[in-house]
Amino acid sequence: MSFAPALHAEWIKLRSLRALTAALAAIVVATTTFSILFAASPDDSGASDPLFTSFFGVSFGQIAAIAFGTTALSSDLRPGALGLAFAAMPDRRRWFAAKAAMVALPVLGTGLLTGVVTLLACRAVQGASAPTWAEDLRGVVGCGVQLTLTALFATGLTALLRSGVATLSLLIPFLLVLSFVVGDLSSGIADLLPDRAGQIALHSTWDGSLGPWSGLAVSAAWTGAALLVGGWRLNRRDA
Amino acid sequence: MTSIDVRDLTKHFGSRRAVDGLTFQLRPGRVTGFLGPNGAGKSTTMRLVLGLDRPTSGTATIGGRLYAELRDPLRRVGSLLDAGAAHGARRARDHLRAIAVSNRIPAGRVETVLGETGLTEVADRRVRTYSLGMRQRLGIAAALLGDPEVVLLDEPANGLDPEGIVWIRTLLRRLADDGRTVLVSSHLMNETSVFADHLLILGRGRLLADTPVREFIDTRVRPEIRIRTTDDTALADLLALHGHDASRAEDGTWNVRHAELEGIGRLLFEARIPVKELAAREATLEQAYLDLTAAEAEFTTHPQEV
Repeated sequence: MSFAPALHAEWIKLRSLRALTAALAAIVVATTTFSILFAASPDDSGASDPLFTSFFGVSFGQIAAIAFGTTALSSDLRPGALGLAFAAMPDRRRWFAAKAAMVALPVLGTGLLTGVVTLLACRAVQGASAPTWAEDLRGVVGCGVQLTLTALFATGLTALLRSGVATLSLLIPFLLVLSFVVGDLSSGIADLLPDRAGQIALHSTWDGSLGPWSGLAVSAAWTGAALLVGGWRLNRRDA
Repeated sequence: MTSIDVRDLTKHFGSRRAVDGLTFQLRPGRVTGFLGPNGAGKSTTMRLVLGLDRPTSGTATIGGRLYAELRDPLRRVGSLLDAGAAHGARRARDHLRAIAVSNRIPAGRVETVLGETGLTEVADRRVRTYSLGMRQRLGIAAALLGDPEVVLLDEPANGLDPEGIVWIRTLLRRLADDGRTVLVSSHLMNETSVFADHLLILGRGRLLADTPVREFIDTRVRPEIRIRTTDDTALADLLALHGHDASRAEDGTWNVRHAELEGIGRLLFEARIPVKELAAREATLEQAYLDLTAAEAEFTTHPQEV
């Protein structure tokens, strides 16, 4: 069975919904804007991590990525829509894989672009304390991969919960509140949370047990689990 | 030509039997009307045929194969289950294009079905601006996209204006005349009797009838003749004399059961009874259906599950 028609269909569906293209744009805008604001604030610029100063806004970019990953699937969860999708493509695993691919590829592209844009913008603001080129490269790749994993995590959770609203109202408070609070209390456990673990790759230095790549691997494990469980639920249930 | 075979199909939702041991065959070249009250299991049966719900037991096959085994299924089976399925923020043309590419349907078909359903002019409008009738047409357009041999439509006349209803009648007729297998569910009796050749009637998930429409009506509804006269006494005597089962309604109309128009006409003429009106009452699908359900109720001793 060829995968191309399924991908092509998802590509048309993505492009024809403004909410989705807007969410992609919001990833770049949110990340860059908040990073510049942080880099430009005088009291933090010296003391904090030089690389993460350029990626401070990625938490906000992650919210846009969550919105994208959620909406991409929830737009097919309205009454009757899933039936229409599965009537066109009875192999639900193939359908879900195409959906996930059409979440991953655009977000990866957007995420890499975001990394480059925010670095260049912040470099102009930061001046002397700018990170090294090797760090920059890691930061850009990390930014792309982490945003992709975040979006896919949201897609998996949406499939599991069968609701975009439930997913957003779970993930966004989690990202905004819980992760910050727990992160301040105990960095050990917080480092294993899906959003925190992946963000280690956006730092010049780190002190926990996880490094940049093992951090992304932890994020990937969360995402993989969410996609597997979500896909399993989608496949098993009546549409 | 493709027929649909349903065998011992059963679907439980918890303790409720939505579909209960259905067995029937849908044949090409005719429109089969799928009748029954809301909740009788019509939609569930269609969903089972399309593989959207998993049967508790039994099978539904299309040309001998399960729906899930069909390659590019929309080119074999077109369906409309829910007119609300199209995303409101999407343009109708994009909605159809996405469906078309998923089943390798040539792009030209999108324009063809838009034309067939009368949506060409509004194809670039977002679906949320559509009326219920236009959404219904879009759903039918999606069902016809793959030029399928089998067409399953769940309540397609919902929300259509009178012009739309005439249009869908003609469309269904044409699809069947092309040799396609057409199943159309409805809870509107008289509408169904206009377009259907064959009937499947469901009640509480069970098959109550699988019969040609004409035959169903003729065997269920006894012919009746309606007479109005200026001389009620003479008419009453005449009908009693010839042993006719007749009764007079309050508005002065006589109903004669088990009678033929020709025989009664001659009697009236010979007896020189003045006639204001003499007509055979057209038996309707609705009457036949009510007769069937009344007969069913007699044999049903269990209270209805809720």
